[in-house]
Amino acid sequence: MLRIVVGEGSCGIAAGAAKVYNRLESLINDGVLKDCELSVTGCIGMCYLEPIVDVYTDNERITFVKTDEKFAELLAEKGLGSEEVNAYLIPQADVDRLDKQTRIALRNCGNINPEKIEDYIAAGGYEALKKVLSGMSQDDVINVIKVSGLAGRGGAGFPTWFKWNAAKSSPGEEKYLICNADEGDPGAFMDRAVIESDPHNLIEGMLIGAYAIGAKEAVVYVRAEYPLAIIRLTNAIKQAEAKGYLGENIMGSGFSCKMRIKAGAGAFVCGEETALIESLEGQRGMPRLKPPFPAQSGYWHKPSNINNVETFANVPWIMANGGEAFSSMGTEDSKGTKVFALTGKIKKGGLVEIPMGMTLREVIYDIGNGIKDDKEFKAVQMGGPSGGCIPKDLLDTVIDYKKLGATGAIMGSGGMVVMDETTCMVDMARFFLDFTAKESCGKCVPCRLGTKRMLEILTRIVNGEGKEGDIELLEELCLSIKDGSLCGLGQTAPNPVLTTLKYFRHEYEAHIRDKKCPAKQCKSLISYTIIADKCKGCTLCARNCPVEAISGSVKQPHVIDAEKCIKCGKCKDNCKFNAIEIN
Amino acid sequence: MDNVINLKINGKEVTAVKGQTILQVAKENGIDIPNMCYSEKVKVYGACGVCVVEAKGMPKLMRSCATMAAEGMDIETETPRVVQARKVALELMLSDHKGDCRPPCVKACPAGTDCQGYVGLIANGKFDEANKLVKDKFPLPASIGRVCPHPCEQKCRRQAIDDPVQIAFLKRFVGDKALESASSCTPDIAADTGKKVAVIGGGPAGLSAAYHLRRMGHGVTIFDAMPHMGGMLRYGIPEYRLPNTVVDAEVKAIENMGVKLVNNTKINAEKFNELKADYDAVLVAIGAWTSSKMRIPGEDAKGVMGGIDFLRKLALKEESGIGKRVAVVGGGNTAMDACRSAVRAGAEEVYTFYRRTREEMPADKVEVNEAEEEGVIFKFLCNPVEILSKDGVVCGIKAQKMELGEPDASGRRSPVPVEGAFEIVELDTVIMAIGQGTKAEGFEELELTRKGTIVADEKTYMTSVEGVFACGDATNKGADIAIRAIGEAINAAASINEYLGGKKRTFAETSQYDLYSSVEPTFEQIREKHSDKAPVQKIVMSHDNAEERKTNFNEFMHGFTEDEAIREASKCLECGCMDYYECKLINYANRYDCQPGRLAGSIHKAGIEDCNEFIIRDTAKCVLCGLCVRACEEVTGNTALGLVGRGFDTIVAPEMCLALDKSKCTACGLCVSLCPTGALTEKPAMKKAVPLKQTREESVCRFCTNGCKTEVVKHGTALLKVEPAEGVVNLCHNGRFGVCDDDFAYIECGSDYEAAVNAIVEDIKATVNLDLSKPAVAISALHTEAEAKALMAACKKALGDVPVFTLSGGKKLSGKDLELSNEANKQNGKDTVSDIYFGVSADGLAKAGVSSDMNVAKNSTVILAFGEDIDEKTLGISVVKLPNVFEKL
Repeated sequence: MLRIVVGEGSCGIAAGAAKVYNRLESLINDGVLKDCELSVTGCIGMCYLEPIVDVYTDNERITFVKTDEKFAELLAEKGLGSEEVNAYLIPQADVDRLDKQTRIALRNCGNINPEKIEDYIAAGGYEALKKVLSGMSQDDVINVIKVSGLAGRGGAGFPTWFKWNAAKSSPGEEKYLICNADEGDPGAFMDRAVIESDPHNLIEGMLIGAYAIGAKEAVVYVRAEYPLAIIRLTNAIKQAEAKGYLGENIMGSGFSCKMRIKAGAGAFVCGEETALIESLEGQRGMPRLKPPFPAQSGYWHKPSNINNVETFANVPWIMANGGEAFSSMGTEDSKGTKVFALTGKIKKGGLVEIPMGMTLREVIYDIGNGIKDDKEFKAVQMGGPSGGCIPKDLLDTVIDYKKLGATGAIMGSGGMVVMDETTCMVDMARFFLDFTAKESCGKCVPCRLGTKRMLEILTRIVNGEGKEGDIELLEELCLSIKDGSLCGLGQTAPNPVLTTLKYFRHEYEAHIRDKKCPAKQCKSLISYTIIADKCKGCTLCARNCPVEAISGSVKQPHVIDAEKCIKCGKCKDNCKFNAIEIN
Repeated sequence: MDNVINLKINGKEVTAVKGQTILQVAKENGIDIPNMCYSEKVKVYGACGVCVVEAKGMPKLMRSCATMAAEGMDIETETPRVVQARKVALELMLSDHKGDCRPPCVKACPAGTDCQGYVGLIANGKFDEANKLVKDKFPLPASIGRVCPHPCEQKCRRQAIDDPVQIAFLKRFVGDKALESASSCTPDIAADTGKKVAVIGGGPAGLSAAYHLRRMGHGVTIFDAMPHMGGMLRYGIPEYRLPNTVVDAEVKAIENMGVKLVNNTKINAEKFNELKADYDAVLVAIGAWTSSKMRIPGEDAKGVMGGIDFLRKLALKEESGIGKRVAVVGGGNTAMDACRSAVRAGAEEVYTFYRRTREEMPADKVEVNEAEEEGVIFKFLCNPVEILSKDGVVCGIKAQKMELGEPDASGRRSPVPVEGAFEIVELDTVIMAIGQGTKAEGFEELELTRKGTIVADEKTYMTSVEGVFACGDATNKGADIAIRAIGEAINAAASINEYLGGKKRTFAETSQYDLYSSVEPTFEQIREKHSDKAPVQKIVMSHDNAEERKTNFNEFMHGFTEDEAIREASKCLECGCMDYYECKLINYANRYDCQPGRLAGSIHKAGIEDCNEFIIRDTAKCVLCGLCVRACEEVTGNTALGLVGRGFDTIVAPEMCLALDKSKCTACGLCVSLCPTGALTEKPAMKKAVPLKQTREESVCRFCTNGCKTEVVKHGTALLKVEPAEGVVNLCHNGRFGVCDDDFAYIECGSDYEAAVNAIVEDIKATVNLDLSKPAVAISALHTEAEAKALMAACKKALGDVPVFTLSGGKKLSGKDLELSNEANKQNGKDTVSDIYFGVSADGLAKAGVSSDMNVAKNSTVILAFGEDIDEKTLGISVVKLPNVFEKL
């Protein structure tokens, strides 16, 4: 009996996993594939290998990658172990890459069926909750978290026990526990993966948190752009209720807690806890002034605790294995593991969970296998639009809240966008500012208008219209916005600009003074020309030019009409002779 | 006590009660922390970032509106870091705030006269107030109104629709009005300072400076070389334009303030030294009294004279010495004065030579046209190159014919000679009116410019000699129009005042930033914005025709009638922001020396919404403080306004993006009161909206028995609006908008209601354009039964059988309300707990037969609301403009 498991996270589905699954299913139904059981699992984190299919025999798990419908047919036709099927085997290097990780929050992701509570229970699920509810006091629970050193994984890195304790200690009977699953950083998908791949882990973590602070109601605020996560979580909540893990008198302990989902409407700022609460209450998503903090006055002005998905996803493991087990990993300041979404110009992008204390170089080169097309590494953006970039000479920085903070970047929620030599850092900063300016809620002046003005300045710089004094004006605005903004969105929005100014100031200066883009990316500042000596007259460039800007006869050097050229770069991409250069 | 907190603000030990914010504590202790989004009426919001302060030991700036005072805090409210943060926040707001703080006319006036202000007051029939407003800037409106080349009118946007508002003539109108009633002309004069200032020169600059210095309490003496004061106004402008009597009357008013006038006294070097010794400061304003020469052959011939010299001779009633055939050379206003005076002085042929064409002439177009009507022959494109003479006496001009070449740097096409083309005109007299210069005889001690004018500092107006100041035509760039000299005089007087106060050379320009006037709109944009305004026929001031006027020097423009002035002034498009005097943004921007252009960028989507009967929204001025939205929700519970969009595109809009009058808005006006800028303004209580400096008087609303405390906002005697008094959260629609100035009359009634009502009705008929065909009468509930009966009877007698109702809507005054009313009454300075004013209320009115149903007035054209003024035993009326307002409430 074979158990065939298709990785169906959103990423897998996007890569074609559903087609593979359907083909497998019809082959099974048609009796072609015999003695097989088909199921799904979540995301293992290796986006570059999707769609992934695991085949479990009685004693081993065989992983096939980059599968397709053909794979299903070959499996049916040629059988396991055949040369044709083995062509899909996961390379050993990728297995090793997985082994370099330490998976706690992601421990079940890609391993169990997220739609079956039984799978979760079989993997030891709800044992931690059982342990908590059979004799641990609220303070005991909080103390374990304190010992573990778990800090908020949403970005700010605030000690989780402290927030729990504050909410627990706040007077009042009615308290709320909220999970922030409004994951909005461009390039970040850790939380989505956890909910899609291991929703019960989140539910269990939240229940432990709810017990610790004394909340009888828990809400998961998930962005509506995560439909699969919502479906799987809804399903998981129903299953947990049916099993008595959720609802009245959980496991006979007397502790009751209900849970529901609130789908967010797509505002980035609702990832800010007070704006999230406003949104939950049906108000316009705008941050509240702090203090009072949510632990004092949160949802419906009752004591509330908010943590993000990854934070909760660590909790069951910590309760099961003890705080010390968690704190034994990591550095002095940062304990445990952290999940990163490794994206950008990286060979092996995906989700990775590593112990704190690993260096950026190890993550990018050992796990991510280095830069795409073996180009030169330039910088890595940590923490999305709220974070900053870290340049090449700081690649040996260890992953640790303080150490990363010292570079001007932040740990953030886990976005790690890798950039190579072809990335224009000014344009990169402009991209993130464009994001934050659009996502500003509009309430406070420094953020609403400051980010807009910064964006306008950056836009004119990349368009070659930068002026002397623009850099200083940017710096002044950065400080004012950091100092004067009401919430984290505004306070951190200048970070991409500040760090690129810190490490790549010369690129700004080149744009402004020399009207040049060193990365040769800013269209207003570059032009494409054909090197006559190298051009063989193959006409490929001319045929690919979307605006017919290239002319020339066969076997004669071609010429680009600068007037017509829209600088799309297609000619250069298509040229086999390296005959096209950017000036 | 546990709940008392001790802290320091700006080094001052203060106490606070637990729960108070730093902003509140500071305010209680007289420390002003600026803020844009704070109001005690709504919950703290913390958006603007302006109220930040620094606390010792705290790394971050904190918002004083949201930070609770805590024991031992050491707060500083104006540190460099705080100031920088505020400045950037304000500059950011300014960068997305669009509108004309001040109108183009005011900005164009070199003296900064408040054109929109006095024009608006005239439109409302407030002539006295208009005169006071003009005279706040300078003392010569009747004179300047006649002769000013009015740069204001050149910028007037009304010309995009028909013609510019005739601002100068309106100024003349109020000036003349003031001269008719001498009593209203004397401004307030500050207490004597004991300082003495000598002003040398009694022209527009000297007179204006003396006027301001005297108002500041200094002793002022004007010395003038001529027999009468007025300078060029009297000796350089012919009487047909500006009669001596007008100048004399305005000079007299200055003399009446205590300014000493000394004529026939030319100041030479010796006398100048005496003045410096005898006076605490000296102002030199000697003007530009020499005619410039052309430097062409024959200029020395007999019969050649300077333009201003010729005019001065006429003014002095001396023999002018002109012949029958006269040529005037030049294209400016002095040339026009000269040629038209020559016509009047008996010349038979008068020419004007000008080297360009009519279009390029710097003189007023009107002047040119009128000169032509009077028979002046214009020789355009003619440049005199030689004065021909016979036996040393002028006999003609040889002029080079010119044509227009390429435009020069200034955009004017410069004349170039047509080779070989000359014209010779036979003449007896040539008058050179091509410019004026200064001969600073006796003032050689002062540093002079190359062209002989006195060097005066551009900001302080001090000359090279300590304590000696100079302004006007005699300084720096030299001769210009009178109003520019006056503008300098205003600033010079302020500078001298600072100097006399012991501050030396610290004077910075007093004129405030006229922030953010946008780029001047095109005529098309103006027309689009004012598409509701149709062109109207120009009001031409009555005047004598050319045949009548050319024979004498009598003034031939006769001034506007009151009706004409009001109609002309009503054409004003009200360009300047109505909130100018209340706007927090411009106030703080000036306070922190903001440079709005520094962070300029795109502007949020905006427009003007003017559908509501009482409220105008100009969203381009909105800085998103959120006060309107929050007040509407938190105070009134209406949620008529909300925030729409995200980020930079966020705007305030009525619910569901409806028009305001389709929303739940009850027009209580709270949002307008709270709006820190001109984004929300009320339609004025006066007919025409005018931005004006305000005074506030406490009063009590007399619409119903609640007796809410109000603030009546006035400019002088003009009622601008009614707002809730401090401590009163909100007024209802009636109290806020129920009175309008045009129709707001108080009549001493005593016990004779009939006479009082008759007087009021007559007053309405005489002054207000309202449809009185179907009136209704509303009686305030502040009457006794007997009073109500008497009032009803009086009204019915005066107006026929009209519906009568009470505005309190039948609300009974009971326990708490009665207490509140009496409390308000007491606070308003009335000792008697009065049932005369408050006690009877709806009950009493009902007994008197007054309906409590507002619907009885549904079909009326207008509602006359009668009430008694709380302070005086007078019967007041406010005509409520629209009956349907009551339907809505």
